[in-house]
Amino acid sequence: MNFRKTTAFFVAVITCLFFFGITTAKAAEPYNLGVALGLTGAGALYSADGVEGIKLAVEEINSKGGFLGQHKVELFIRDSQTKPDVGVREVKDLILRDKIRAVINDYSSAVAMAVKPIAQEYKVLHIASISNSENITMINPSPYTFQVVPNSYMQAKAAAVAVAKMAKQKGWKEYITIASDYEWGRSTQASAVKFLKDTSPDLTLKKEFWPRLGEAQFTSYITGIMAMKPDFVLGSVASNDNVAWMEQAKTYGFFEKIPYPGSLITVTELQLQAKTLPRGMIALTRAPFFAHMDNPMMADFVKNYRAKYNKYPSDWAVLSYDAVYALKQGVEKAKSIDTEKVKDAMKGMTVDLTRGKLTFRTIDNQLSCSSYTGTIADDPRYPFPIYKDIMEIKGSESERPDSEILEARKATK
Amino acid sequence: MDITSLFTQFLSGLTYGTILFLVAAGLSLIFGVMNILNFAHAALWLMGAYFSYTFWNLMQEHSFAFWLSIPLAGFAAAAVGWFLEVVLIKRIYKRELHEQLLITYSIALILSDTIKLTWGVTNKLIVRPEIIRKPVFIFGSPLDSYFILVILSGAAVAIGLWWFLKYTRYGHIVKAAVHSREMVGALGIPIPRIYTWVFTLGIFLAGFAGGIQAPIGSITLGMDNAIIIQAFCVVVIGGFGSLLGTLVGSLIVGEVFSFTILFWPDGAMVLIFVITAAILIVRPWGLFGTPMRT
Repeated sequence: MNFRKTTAFFVAVITCLFFFGITTAKAAEPYNLGVALGLTGAGALYSADGVEGIKLAVEEINSKGGFLGQHKVELFIRDSQTKPDVGVREVKDLILRDKIRAVINDYSSAVAMAVKPIAQEYKVLHIASISNSENITMINPSPYTFQVVPNSYMQAKAAAVAVAKMAKQKGWKEYITIASDYEWGRSTQASAVKFLKDTSPDLTLKKEFWPRLGEAQFTSYITGIMAMKPDFVLGSVASNDNVAWMEQAKTYGFFEKIPYPGSLITVTELQLQAKTLPRGMIALTRAPFFAHMDNPMMADFVKNYRAKYNKYPSDWAVLSYDAVYALKQGVEKAKSIDTEKVKDAMKGMTVDLTRGKLTFRTIDNQLSCSSYTGTIADDPRYPFPIYKDIMEIKGSESERPDSEILEARKATK
Repeated sequence: MDITSLFTQFLSGLTYGTILFLVAAGLSLIFGVMNILNFAHAALWLMGAYFSYTFWNLMQEHSFAFWLSIPLAGFAAAAVGWFLEVVLIKRIYKRELHEQLLITYSIALILSDTIKLTWGVTNKLIVRPEIIRKPVFIFGSPLDSYFILVILSGAAVAIGLWWFLKYTRYGHIVKAAVHSREMVGALGIPIPRIYTWVFTLGIFLAGFAGGIQAPIGSITLGMDNAIIIQAFCVVVIGGFGSLLGTLVGSLIVGEVFSFTILFWPDGAMVLIFVITAAILIVRPWGLFGTPMRT
């Protein structure tokens, strides 16, 4: 009897230890999340903010135990240098060495497109939070690649809606484009021109300028454009280059002479050029925090972000923060950190983000999110100008119809 | 296209050319005297821009901060240049050209990373004083008022260098060293010390040019990659070691770029490389260079 009791006791203890051991082992398994952004090179300015957003999101999630309350998120951050070959190398390394399950990448669409097949090959989730070329999700789609930022088509259509309205009011006829000479600049410009043709067929494109990525001297472009006296100019100049372009154009009084609507002026530029940005300019952006301060999630995010970094979050911080939370909700829906299950769970899923309740499109994993236009104006609540009369162009109003996506895919096969 | 627009475009080309001249002058001087093709020149130029940002940032509350930070950037870069010469460059004068290239290129990479570690990855913006934020009009053509300062600085550097080479004893020694360093050495003039100071002067010019560039746009990592290639085009066109050649080469590149943009925007950069290649084939020593060197 005694012997049996003792045996039973030991069996119980061992069983307990066994299960306890398993559960602790399970709880200890972290979720390795890779980040490969252009921390140096042309994308440095935006990417640094993206990393800050991601770090904050991960901190918040880990303070509640991690994904599903038990998988601590471990961050592995790499510099893609805004170069496709480096991006591919770094992401491969993240996959093989750091065993990441998902990667947030990139600033540059060219890098994101180079990383897409790698992520698919190794079955790793790939979330684009800054780069937004439409081709990332439209052509050669990967079930592992998701995009949480309004893509180039959506942005261009949103801008065209705003520009068409103004062209009608003001009787504009001729325009010029200036865009950075690489994937994003080219695709954004092409979509914008096409939309304007569709919405306002009377407008003619007089000339196209393609300053290379990394251009620091825009003077010749500025005076050249001014000499041609267009009714308005459409610009898609990237990140650091955009700051140089705007600063130099301003000293020529460019914006007082020539309307420059629908250009990308994100919260980064609003803050960096707070003193000098021409007020009254009509601009476009991707995720301005001030458009959603009524959403508690955004209000909390802005509060925590300010507490941590002592500044307001840029679009890139918002988008990258949203990328982590979209992933978190995907894991919760899948009830597992298994990448295959999470990938399937996220397909067509509605996520609750700082920008509201948004849905991933089934056809291409593009988040059906809004673009924002507005007039740049000072606001006593902020130390920098924000958008006034914000026009939120919803994903449903600006995204490319499914039929066209299928056609484009057929054409590239 | 009316005459005012053409004149405006000419002014744009002139400013672009001046910026290139400021970068290329030091490059050409160092090559002319010491036969060193300094790939790290643009990295020091960029460092000058960052130095200028730092000085401006430190003295921000004073009205002279903006103006003083530009020459200070030149001196700070010159200090780095002096250090590099004494520690590294001194040892490679007698080496093969390809070894010198590898070493100066390595220095460029090291400096780029040093810049990244020191100043971080976010780009820096120098806010200009109120009086140079608006354009001025010259015969109806707008010109960024800061560019008047740029063009004047370029002219001052050109005249200063010319005066130095033509009328000062040190200038004469430097010019003599271009032709025959052995002869100069035989006359009892300490060549190594001359080299150190010429290199330092060249890097001062790079840093000064960086300081001049800084308020034009934002200061970004990687800016040096683009400008070094264009500076090489300038010295190839003008002729290595020739001050006049560098000046003419810069203006050619600036104006060609500026006017091509009006008529054929896509080809602006291409045309400059075509000219450079053509000069290399027809006249490898450049427009104002000398074919023979000892």
